[in-house]
Amino acid sequence: MLRLGPQLLCTLAEKALAEIIAMDPAAITKLHRLAGRQLAFQLTEFDWRLVLTATRQTILLNLHAEPVDCSIQADLVSLQQLRDPNQLTHLIKQEAVQIEGDIQVAQQFSSFFQQLQPDWEAKAASYLGDGLTHKLQRLLQQLIALIGAKSRELQQMSRELVQDELQLTPSNYELEQFSAEVSQLHARLEQLQYQLKQWQE
Amino acid sequence: MSDRTPKTTHFGYKTVAEDDKVSLVANVFHSVAAKYDVMNDMMSFGIHRLWKRFTIDCSAVRPGQKVLDLAGGTGDLTALFSKRVGPSGKVILADINASMLAVGRDKLRDQGLVDNIDYVQANAEALPFADNSFDIITIAFGLRNVTNKDAALASMFRVLKPGGRLLVLEFSKPQSELLNKAYDFYSFNLLPKMGQLIAGDADSYQYLAESIRMHPDQDTLQQMMEQAGFAEVSYHNLTGGIVALHRGYKF
Repeated sequence: MLRLGPQLLCTLAEKALAEIIAMDPAAITKLHRLAGRQLAFQLTEFDWRLVLTATRQTILLNLHAEPVDCSIQADLVSLQQLRDPNQLTHLIKQEAVQIEGDIQVAQQFSSFFQQLQPDWEAKAASYLGDGLTHKLQRLLQQLIALIGAKSRELQQMSRELVQDELQLTPSNYELEQFSAEVSQLHARLEQLQYQLKQWQE
Repeated sequence: MSDRTPKTTHFGYKTVAEDDKVSLVANVFHSVAAKYDVMNDMMSFGIHRLWKRFTIDCSAVRPGQKVLDLAGGTGDLTALFSKRVGPSGKVILADINASMLAVGRDKLRDQGLVDNIDYVQANAEALPFADNSFDIITIAFGLRNVTNKDAALASMFRVLKPGGRLLVLEFSKPQSELLNKAYDFYSFNLLPKMGQLIAGDADSYQYLAESIRMHPDQDTLQQMMEQAGFAEVSYHNLTGGIVALHRGYKF
């Protein structure tokens, strides 16, 4: 059974993705442009390679290692950094990301997913009614804002803790000062080397 | 004298004349066609869907390809292939049994899959297609019912394009002795009763259990595929070897 675990996950993910795509009325037009293209992802943390096949109605998922239009190999961290297109060249140079095939296909898939806007409220309203869905949506927005604020607060607290309380890492000012001192030392060393050379001559 | 003796083959544990096997197998599938999908889900606890997904993964099917789903029955694999090959590709659902083909056609039409699927009633031993026609051929839970398996494999090899691949998904021999015993108990005691209860036909499911035991094991089928001309033949055991997926290429 364990061998078929990835196929089970793939089946469930494919069904979920189809539902999400169906919730965005604009997605079908965009899919028509993408239909027939295949993109593969290989995460270095896992053995299997996920292949996305765009059709006119949805995106299908498969697992195999055979040739496709574009194949991307990366670790999870680099893949997250790939969301910023400016990072691409840097990541390829660092060999953190390997891309084979037509990179435009990857960009088209990326653009499709970024523009995907599932109207989940319309779907939920058919089950819960407009009023309850609206309340739920506001509650979710508040929750997301609260989580964002708490996360920023936590980051600030952690920074202060390691810098000021525990003094595990230097502050920006200390780092700059240290850097300036190293530069001065380097300049002084060069000067001494020059003087030494002159005396030897 | 010996020329007049009819050639025999097995039908489950029975020995029958080769000429009779086709009609005996046909009777089994005419009888179970209507309840085939329900029984598949009940018998395998739904795992047959994952075996078929694994087959699709191993096919590495691409948009635009031409696929033959042989002994395709009620069209589970055809549905998965049809979505993947898209409007520029084609899937042929072929089955020797008209009842199974009719159930498959109705099911696929209900799913809205009509554009790129053709239905052909065909005998796997003498496929009615031109040489080098298909990129992928699959035969799922069908080969064990074929009277002359070597002829069927040769016929598949003929119609496969060079570079194409054959995938045979079939019941096989469980790898663990404990699993084998549990599987035997399930097959011969519970399966016919389930068949009687759901499909109203215990005999057909008794045949299913017997035909699985008479089917060549993993290594034998691998050799048969190699003898038919397939290259780089390999197999994956699924669910402890209860089912195996064999893959071979034509170069």
